[in-house]
Amino acid sequence: MSDLGLILAVGAITFGSRITFLLRPRSAPVGAVGRFLELFPLALFVAIATSGLAAPNGAPEVTEALAAAVGGVCGAVVFRRSLWGVLAAGALAFYLTRALFA
Amino acid sequence: MFDDPSFRRGARESSLLFFATGAFGLAYGVLAVEAGLSPWLATFSSIVIVSGSAQFAMLGLLPAGPVPVLLSAAGLGLRHLPMSASLAEMIGPRSIWSRLRLAYILVDETFGLTVRAHHSGVEDVVAYKTAADLVLYSGWMLGTVTGAWFGSSIDPEAVGIGVFFPLLFLGLAVPLIHKRRDLLVGALAVGVTLIASLTLPQAWQLTAAATVAALIGAGLDE
Repeated sequence: MSDLGLILAVGAITFGSRITFLLRPRSAPVGAVGRFLELFPLALFVAIATSGLAAPNGAPEVTEALAAAVGGVCGAVVFRRSLWGVLAAGALAFYLTRALFA
Repeated sequence: MFDDPSFRRGARESSLLFFATGAFGLAYGVLAVEAGLSPWLATFSSIVIVSGSAQFAMLGLLPAGPVPVLLSAAGLGLRHLPMSASLAEMIGPRSIWSRLRLAYILVDETFGLTVRAHHSGVEDVVAYKTAADLVLYSGWMLGTVTGAWFGSSIDPEAVGIGVFFPLLFLGLAVPLIHKRRDLLVGALAVGVTLIASLTLPQAWQLTAAATVAALIGAGLDE
């Protein structure tokens, strides 16, 4: 599949998920399916973050990215779960570690 | 519509989003070109998809092939189902064009603002969300175009910009943790991802880890 085709497919999937209940209003899924839908984004975001920060080259390893993860978690606690707090504290930890161990 | 008090309130209350999404758009543009997309494809993807999480995930999974990219897009799109159901209740009967327009930019940030405005009694929810969407979309597109077309002078490795991509997802995950069950799902996702990185092909690691963690979480009592 070409990059253009992939982008169009991702766009179609994203728009399809957004329009579903707006086109024909109905109740959101409930029960176990509803809970799965609610939890999946959290699980996916954490999986992507873990993969990039704790296993950046395909397997778990200790790099400055791991320091960014620790900094990001600390930033989440200190700045009350603020996105910018996570980014700022994570970046600070990353660059400090890089400067100290480069 | 521009004179509508709800529209002006939406523009005012979302103004900070312009800079926030502009910064992320800039990072997306730079990373998209770094990942191998041409500048115009990077720009086109922001026009067509309009989803930071789906687009960043697409970049991260591009080396693994189209199937993981499409699976992750479907997985990330799941969260739009309850959001669109909730928005449909808020706006009531509207024309199909209004619904299509609102669905085009159904994103976490302006949805959150719209829900808050709805609860505080905003007169016209559609005008409010339209204004917030326009502000967000302007920032996202301006950032993407700048990053994609003028970001080539930035060396992502030297600057360490790559670390912002997983950090962004950490930052997006944290506000989703409200209950003990959410925390458990997050911890499970960390553990399963690390195990998957040692045992599964790269293409399936993220989807498998997220699915397992969410399935276990869905089976738990709150």
